[in-house]
Amino acid sequence: MKKRLIPLFMSLFLLTGCGDGSGLPFAREMGDMALLRTMGVDRGEDGGLLVTVSTGRRARGLQQEAEPPLLISAAGGSLSEACLTIQGQSDNYVFYGYVDQLLLGEELAKQGVEQILNYYARDLELSLGAQVWVVRGTARATLDANQEEGVEGQLSVLQTGSEIGAAGIARTAGELLSDLEEGSATFLPMLQTVDDGEAALVETGYVVFRGEKLVGVLEGELAKGVELLMSHAPAGVIQGELPARQDILQERQVHTAYHPVFQGDELVSVEIRCQVTADLTEFSDKLSNEQLELLRQKVEQREETRIRMALTALQGWDADCISLGRKLGINDPAHWNWLEEHWEDLFAQISFDVIVEATIRCTYGAI
Amino acid sequence: MQVTRGSENDHPRPEQIPHYPGPVTMENVQRIFCDCADFSTRTVILHNDPGRQVTLCYINGMVRGERVNDYLLRPMAQDPFLASVEMSKVFELLAGGTLYNLYMDRQSSLDDVAQDLTAGNCILFFPGQEEVLSFAVSTEEKRSIGESDNEPALKGARDSFVEGVRTNTSLVRRKLRTPDVKLREFIVGRHTRTPVDVVWIDGITPMETVEEVCRRIDQMDIDGVETTGSLEEYLVDRLTTPFPLMAYTQRPDRFCGALLEGRVGVLADGLPLGYILPGTLEQFFRTAQDKAFYWTMATALTMLRYCCMIVTLLLPALYIAIVTFHPEAIPVKLALSIAAAKQEVPFSTIFEVLIMLLAFEVLQEAGLRLPTPIGATVSILGGLVVGNAAVEAHIVSPAVLIVVAIAGIAGYTMPSQDFSGALRLWRFVLAVLASVGGLFGLACGIAALIHHLAGLESYGVPYLAPFTIGAGQGSGRPDLTRPPLPKMKWRGGVYGLRNRRNQK
Repeated sequence: MKKRLIPLFMSLFLLTGCGDGSGLPFAREMGDMALLRTMGVDRGEDGGLLVTVSTGRRARGLQQEAEPPLLISAAGGSLSEACLTIQGQSDNYVFYGYVDQLLLGEELAKQGVEQILNYYARDLELSLGAQVWVVRGTARATLDANQEEGVEGQLSVLQTGSEIGAAGIARTAGELLSDLEEGSATFLPMLQTVDDGEAALVETGYVVFRGEKLVGVLEGELAKGVELLMSHAPAGVIQGELPARQDILQERQVHTAYHPVFQGDELVSVEIRCQVTADLTEFSDKLSNEQLELLRQKVEQREETRIRMALTALQGWDADCISLGRKLGINDPAHWNWLEEHWEDLFAQISFDVIVEATIRCTYGAI
Repeated sequence: MQVTRGSENDHPRPEQIPHYPGPVTMENVQRIFCDCADFSTRTVILHNDPGRQVTLCYINGMVRGERVNDYLLRPMAQDPFLASVEMSKVFELLAGGTLYNLYMDRQSSLDDVAQDLTAGNCILFFPGQEEVLSFAVSTEEKRSIGESDNEPALKGARDSFVEGVRTNTSLVRRKLRTPDVKLREFIVGRHTRTPVDVVWIDGITPMETVEEVCRRIDQMDIDGVETTGSLEEYLVDRLTTPFPLMAYTQRPDRFCGALLEGRVGVLADGLPLGYILPGTLEQFFRTAQDKAFYWTMATALTMLRYCCMIVTLLLPALYIAIVTFHPEAIPVKLALSIAAAKQEVPFSTIFEVLIMLLAFEVLQEAGLRLPTPIGATVSILGGLVVGNAAVEAHIVSPAVLIVVAIAGIAGYTMPSQDFSGALRLWRFVLAVLASVGGLFGLACGIAALIHHLAGLESYGVPYLAPFTIGAGQGSGRPDLTRPPLPKMKWRGGVYGLRNRRNQK
């Protein structure tokens, strides 16, 4: 009996709540907390950090109309200091556990983001699963512009759209940190606020990081080239490829494979084979087989151009943000060590053989 | 007079054996039943010969008049042979078949005579004889065999046990027609003198278990078996647990199924149910219907019951722990919904959940104690009207109401009400622990629960037998599922079986 009582009393001791060693978590009421959803970080005027947080639209009771988001902003020498200041500015306990959207200001991205990612990795409440975007201008301005409705809904839609191929590639803080730890370059989606009477966030492309700093922006066709290289079907449609016709194609699946081509022990080129599957979603008249073949070739040419443009830009910045070296090593394990040692030096000069294979799926009545 | 502990009126309970000493005479019997208004005697003249008289005694209301008239009085009054033979031979003639009654015993002790009279027998006193004849002519006013209320049958036999032990044993005999079904009867209760039968199948059931059950029943020295607890609490191995250690059923088919598994059955007069020993955890998740349904469905339903057990036990505690201590574990949209619902509720989550759990128990108890029509009204009023009003008045949040309701409804899937009751008690314990220490407290509570369950035994069989291998003999089949019957070749659940194989 005594043997049973000893662990019981030890447990009770732990449950006393005396001192920091009680081992018990602290109780907090969810109704009294400000549940933050979005964090924006900019470089402050004094060289410190300016942190802006938003709760998203809040409901006061289930039947009540939602209130505008709570927006709090604070500056500090570090992210910790700014977050502590925010805690003091709010009437409620500010809870960072639900921050799943991180906006980084353009200027901050140019100066380096590793400090922010490290804080996300170490903080108890923040998570590396948060989605990260770089915004044109400042994050504070972006959040202010959307103060009434909040940016949370729009960012959630972008995130979901990325999963179903309706938007660009979304990246998490964890992926970003992992890329920076393993390689020397990475990329993030970029957003811009467009104000046509009502502020809205739109994707403008991708920013490329070399090390922890932003070195360039890929927009338009270049951005789509990066998506093809990442086996991500570009959002949007292809139209007007054939003369005097208004056929509309939508790319559904993309698979890109990489193979190093060695001559002896020397890497001479990299073969990039991109398989694209597109649906003919709209058409005016039936297509002949010749027209279909011509359309297929046009798509292949267009996608090859996109890929080459993106690769040229990346080589110009010497930033292998798509982890090409790692992918080549995986496909050719015999040269893994060689590639790991030499790839950084080779990336800017290596030649690429880009092969695009397009498949067009015709819907009923197209042919 | 004030009776203090330790006086001679306390332990040990004095019992004189024989209880009524002396010869079996009419005078002694009348002395025993003095002040008993329903005790009656009747002097009968054999075939109009005033020199030949016998006396019948019985208890009014306990005997069936037609039987006494037809089987006893008519032959004695009309049989001329009784008037022609010598008086000394008349007693043997009456005992030998002149009286038509099937059940007849010779009794020579006052205790037996008194017992027979209270059981509804008719006693025949014969002048000059030290023995009396006891005829079973008791009235058979009893409930007819009907459908079980607690364990309704969707697909299968619809009979259920009734209050008469002999009817119940006959129901068992009708399903198990082998002479290997053995019955041992004990009289329990000094004042109720209740027949309690131990039933088992010879050749399957371990005799150690049978002997142990018989020993415990035999050692019961109580005033009477008036409720089910009167037996249960004397037969279980441990009283310091809310979990039932012996299963019961109202259905003879389930009772017989348990006997075929090698368990021991206990039937008591006055109780419309049969107990099944030893009790193991998986018994309380099975129903008699499990073998009636197709095996895939039966398995799915069994798994569902186990899931519901976890839900009813853990959901309120888990809600408290996560919402109060670990909100980061909740998905964002659910957290926002919970936070929105909590905005105008003045009470803490812990208080809300505990109060709602208590209110749920109060409602359930009120519904049970009232007559059925009013009970239903209480449930509707309490559950819908008051619950809805409480949410609208922001006294409780809808999330808490949903959590408590789901936990309560999940508890109703338990086939055993005893087991469900134990889960309700532990639900409170775990909720309180979660209120103190969040997931840490909850984990401690679950560990304590498993420790408690692992320490339970029923007649040498671990309570968690389906999940343990420590008893030295596997159960022979998985107990979480119900495989196809042709593949269930081993009797499960009980250890030390004399014959483990149940089919070729």
